[in-house]
Amino acid sequence: MAPNRSPNRTNDKTALIVHPDMTVMSSLQSAFVKNEITAIVARDLPTALLAITQHFFDVVVVSSRISEEGDGWTLGGVLRLVFPKAFVMMIAPGTDLMSLKNAINHGVDEVLEGTASPEQIVSTALRSASVAGKSPTTPKERIQ
Amino acid sequence: MARKKKALLIVDDEINVTRTLQMVFEDEGYSVTPAYSCAEALKIMQNGHQFDGVITDLNMERDDIGLTVARRALELKPQPVVIICTGFANMSNARQALMMHVHYLATKPVELDELKSNLRRLIAIKDSGQKAGR
Repeated sequence: MAPNRSPNRTNDKTALIVHPDMTVMSSLQSAFVKNEITAIVARDLPTALLAITQHFFDVVVVSSRISEEGDGWTLGGVLRLVFPKAFVMMIAPGTDLMSLKNAINHGVDEVLEGTASPEQIVSTALRSASVAGKSPTTPKERIQ
Repeated sequence: MARKKKALLIVDDEINVTRTLQMVFEDEGYSVTPAYSCAEALKIMQNGHQFDGVITDLNMERDDIGLTVARRALELKPQPVVIICTGFANMSNARQALMMHVHYLATKPVELDELKSNLRRLIAIKDSGQKAGR
């Protein structure tokens, strides 16, 4: 779970990637780092929950399936509660009506298909206000 | 001192649905204002009423006009919890609701216990956020 920090960082944005597939997770991490966003990765729920207690996240990318189908949505809802200003993205098998409904009801900002490339995912994150704009970085700022 | 009732605006052109939801939520302790069209809902919101929650149907005067109610409600300060309650959700209107950051999408036939508990949960989150100055 050690953060992979980008060299010569020009900002302090941090992303959390929760995905059971190591290959997907690594390529997403690389894509974020290329864009100067620190990326912390977790392959399972306990690691993701541990990361929540130790870092502040501006962007979150979660697979809708972590250990079983649909558990990613619940985690997405938790992340929305803990980081109300973060941009929360869900990678789902398809962007059907059920996925959109799940996204709305769990406070997820965007649903992307599993076929989306890491670059597409990162560029969606970069367009969000959470990354483009200033977001609080300290607990004090977060409650002001 | 008695705790102030949470205020709800319920918008649906089907009188039976509106009256039923009004009865259910008043029984839960909410103060409910019914509206039977998008135009009526917009007028009520314009009059400076503050609501803790707005529950709106989608298809009223025309298809998807409930999104106009939701959009206006999301602009209110303080922002209420906005719930869309529809039997006609599709990819297009659900995508628009997601982009607008509607708080909850319930599909008819509505599971009332689920709707009640989610409304209560979302209002509690809003209240705690507003107390923290978010």
